[in-house]
Amino acid sequence: MSGSLPEKFVDLEYLVPEWALATQNERQTRRGRSTKGELQAYYDALAPNLDAILDHVDRYPLGEMPPDTERLFFLALMLAEISPHVELYNGDPKVPHSFDETRFVAVHGDKRG
Amino acid sequence: MAEIELRWASQFPELGTDPVPIDSCISPGIYAHEIERIYRRVWLCVARDEELPEVGDWKVKKLHSLKTSVILVRGKDGVVRGFHNSCSHRGNTVITETGDETFGSSKAAVMACRFHGWVYDTEGQVVHVPEEERFGPCFDKAANGLAEVATDVWEGFVFINLEPEPCQSLDEFLGDYGPHFAGFPYAELNHCFAYYTYLDCNWKIGVDSFSEAYHVHTIHAGSFPNVFSSGLSDVRLFGPHRTCGVCLSLDAKPTPVAGTANARARGSLVAKAEASMLPPTINPSGREDFAFELSVLFPNFLLHVSEGIWFTHQFWPVDYNRTIWEGRYYVRAPETNSERWALEHAQVLQRNAWLEDTQTMENTQRSLESGAKRCINLQDEEVLIRHGYSVVDRYLGA
Repeated sequence: MSGSLPEKFVDLEYLVPEWALATQNERQTRRGRSTKGELQAYYDALAPNLDAILDHVDRYPLGEMPPDTERLFFLALMLAEISPHVELYNGDPKVPHSFDETRFVAVHGDKRG
Repeated sequence: MAEIELRWASQFPELGTDPVPIDSCISPGIYAHEIERIYRRVWLCVARDEELPEVGDWKVKKLHSLKTSVILVRGKDGVVRGFHNSCSHRGNTVITETGDETFGSSKAAVMACRFHGWVYDTEGQVVHVPEEERFGPCFDKAANGLAEVATDVWEGFVFINLEPEPCQSLDEFLGDYGPHFAGFPYAELNHCFAYYTYLDCNWKIGVDSFSEAYHVHTIHAGSFPNVFSSGLSDVRLFGPHRTCGVCLSLDAKPTPVAGTANARARGSLVAKAEASMLPPTINPSGREDFAFELSVLFPNFLLHVSEGIWFTHQFWPVDYNRTIWEGRYYVRAPETNSERWALEHAQVLQRNAWLEDTQTMENTQRSLESGAKRCINLQDEEVLIRHGYSVVDRYLGA
């Protein structure tokens, strides 16, 4: 997968195969089956790069990113999915004291982006 | 205990302060009355105007407890009309449904029954019957249109009424609720995230769960830590409908990633907003800690508005202890990729909060069905729930 991200972000390349997921449903499922350690490691890798990533994706119009930048965007969306679990839920991969999330159907869940 | 003035009880003395019986949440008999005397008689919100943007666009909404499905279709004159999804030939559904909501469109602005090919226009008239000449001389095509369902639109919300001759217009039914919520830019904030699920609980248990802010610091200790309800503001009762401001203390500094999201787009209810798009009827007392307006449009539709955000919950009865929940969260469509990212963060957090909210509903139903308790106890800040039960009683003629 070398070169699948914009050059400036090559250090995040190792995350692409597992975490650059195109839909919210995929990201939610991936987060739910992660370990606490995986979530923390992902957060630690992505969060320091977040502002640089968001500035980079804004070099392109909404939804018109080239594939390498779109992959980078998916990594950032994965951080949006994961960050509450690290910042608020003490690393718990599930939302504590919550309804069974597999029963929640997201109408938008299979949309790309 | 120190005497505290019960401000809503003194404003609405007719509601009293007694414990509230829960029979209507666990009784199949009372449920049947609710369906006949409430759901079959009042206006029900079933769609947004934007769901049917073009002539010939249709949506079919299944209404389990009412044993029908309603086709909503936009006609050549731009008007959205409602019809029972029932073919005049032998009663098949004209549009084959694929779930509780089915969408489609017809460039020719017609709907054809798959069974034998009867074709209807968007005014419900039969426009084509294959082998029409083989039907007997008494067959009158003009008298065999689709069965109409009264349909009207308010602020882009499409309502139906299943009474053949509704005893109230939609405007009359909304009463002062209509002007209170008019003028908010619902259609402009049309970027929607929608969820649904089936819940093993009575529809009122669902409505009640979202009708107070007393639960915020317990139920949402996970997703919204350090956000506390600072009380309801400006409670108003409009006939069967009700509304109030929800005030929250938002002193807590956001977590790092949430802080980035808040800086990039207005998508979260627990972030400070700036310029106001709220109509003057909302937050009239000008509370600094106002977070959002929470309202129940009787019987089953909760509409909330905030700066740059509006969201709805709707509870559709399926049985006395079975309910469909639909949650929809609307914001302004993003203009940049980073705004899109920020909205994802806000929306994911909101989904998690809704997962926290829905966690109690089935447990409550199960516990009430045990018969251990005959009543629930409501505090002053749960006045909307108290009003809800009094309205149901009124409709049931209790």
